[in-house]
Amino acid sequence: MKYRKITSAICIGVFSLTCMPPLLWAGEPGKLLMETIDKGFAILKDPSLKGDEKVQERRQMLWKEISPVFNFEEMSKRSLGQHWKSRTPEEKKEFVELFTNILKDAYIGKTDTYSGEKVVIISEKQDKNYATVQTRFITNTGTEISVDYNMHNNPGRWTIYDVIIEGVSLVNNYRSQFNNILIKSSYKELIQKIKAKQSKEETSTK
Amino acid sequence: MRSSVLLMFVFIFTICVCKASVRAESSPVSLGQPTEIPQEEKTPVINKANEDGELKHTVSAQQPDNTRKEDTTPANTTQADEELQHDDVESEPPLIKDPLQPYNRAIFTFNDKTYHYFVKPIYTGYNSMVPEKARVSVKNFFTNIKMPVRFFNCLFQGKLKGAGTELARFVINSTVGVAGLFDPAKSKFHLERHERDFGQTLAKHKMNSGIYIVWPFLGPSTVRDTVGLVGDAALNPLSWISYFFLTPLEGFGNYSYDAVNDFSIDKGQTYENITEPAIDPYIALQDSYIQNRGKKTKE
Repeated sequence: MKYRKITSAICIGVFSLTCMPPLLWAGEPGKLLMETIDKGFAILKDPSLKGDEKVQERRQMLWKEISPVFNFEEMSKRSLGQHWKSRTPEEKKEFVELFTNILKDAYIGKTDTYSGEKVVIISEKQDKNYATVQTRFITNTGTEISVDYNMHNNPGRWTIYDVIIEGVSLVNNYRSQFNNILIKSSYKELIQKIKAKQSKEETSTK
Repeated sequence: MRSSVLLMFVFIFTICVCKASVRAESSPVSLGQPTEIPQEEKTPVINKANEDGELKHTVSAQQPDNTRKEDTTPANTTQADEELQHDDVESEPPLIKDPLQPYNRAIFTFNDKTYHYFVKPIYTGYNSMVPEKARVSVKNFFTNIKMPVRFFNCLFQGKLKGAGTELARFVINSTVGVAGLFDPAKSKFHLERHERDFGQTLAKHKMNSGIYIVWPFLGPSTVRDTVGLVGDAALNPLSWISYFFLTPLEGFGNYSYDAVNDFSIDKGQTYENITEPAIDPYIALQDSYIQNRGKKTKE
C-alpha cells in the first residue's frame, strides 16, 4: 500500500515536471512579456470583439492591456538621445505624450488584420536590471520574423524600452530621424512635424 | 510492479533528454554567436568610425542596444562597459555616410510613388486572384532555384555547414518538394534556409560599406551591397536562364514576377511598416536598411 503511494507520488511529480510549459524556464521579464502577448491575442481572438464596427472598442482594450508593459518615457528619452537633457520638464512631458501617440497610432492599427499569427519565445538574457527577450513572430505564410524586446527593471517592474525587429531597433530608428531633423532645424520644428503627422493620421482614419 | 516503475523512469528520462536537446537547438543564437563575429567587428575602429556607419555601431560608447547582446558575452564585460551599453541615452546615432542625399531623396520619392501607384495595385490584384498557398509555392519555387546564391556565399564565407544544409535542402525540395513548390526540408527535416548574399561575403572580407545609395526600383543599398547585388545576379540561375534562353523582356518579366510575388507575401507590408509610422520616411528606411544589414553581416 505504502509502496503504491510512493510510486504514484513520484509519477505525478515527474509527470508535472516533464509537462511543464516552456514558460517555466523563462525568467520574470520573459514571462511578463509572453503573458502580455497572450492577453493581447486573447482580445484579438475574442469573437465578441470581432468585426469592423468593434474596431475602436477592441483597440482600446488592447491598448489597456499592452501599454503598461511599455516604458514610453524611457523610449522617448532614448529616441531624443542627447537632445533630451536640454528640454524643460514641460517639453519632456509633451514629447512623451506625442511619442506615445505616434507609436500607438502606428502599431495598434496593425492589429486589425490579425489572422492567427503566432509568437514564440526563443531565449532570454538577463543581467541585473536589464534583459533581452528574443522572440519569433510567425506569420500565416510561415515567415519568421525575429523580434527582440529590451527590458529594464525599474523598481520592481519590468518594462520594455526598445523593440528590435530583424535587427532594426525602433528607438534607434526614431533617434536617427529626430537627430536628422534637429541637426538642420530647431526642436520647435520637430514638434511641429510630429503634430502635423498626427493630425494627418487622424483625418485619414476618420 | 518494479519493472513498470523502472520503465516509466526510462521513458521520462528520454523525454527530458529530448526536451533538453530541443531547447539547445532552439537557442543556437546565444551559443554560437561570440565565435562567429567577423574580424572587422573586433578591430579597433575608433578612427574609422566616421567613415563607416556599420562600424560605428561597435564603438562602445555609441553602441546601440541591438548589438549589445551579439558581440559581448557576460563573461568578458566589465561593470563600466555594461553601464555604457545600457545607458546609451545620450549617445549619438551612428552617422551614415550619405553625401548623395538630395539625389537619394529624389529617387526615394520616385520609388515610393512607384510602390504606391504601380507595384501595390498590381500585387493587390494578384493577391485577389491567386490564393495565398499558391503564392507561397511560387515563392518556394523561386527560392529553391536561387539556391546557388546561398550555397556559394556560404562557401565564400567559410560556412561549410550552411553550404551543406543548402545542398541537402535543394535535393530534398527539388524531389520530395515537387521541383521546389513546397518546402519539406524545413517542415519535415527542420533544415533552415541560410540567407547568405554577396554583400555579406564582401563585408566578411573587410570591405567597407561605403556611401548610402538609393537605386531606382531596387531601393536602398550601399556601395558594398551594390557590388553584392551584381555578384548575386551572377550566381543566380534565373539570370543564366535569361541570358541563354530568353529575350531581355522575358528575362525582365521573370525577375519582376519574382519581385511582385515577394511583395504579395510580406515585403509590401514590411515597407509600409517602416515608412508609414515615420516622421521622415527617407531616414527611417535608410536607418532600417543599415541596421538590418548590420545584423545580417554580423551573423
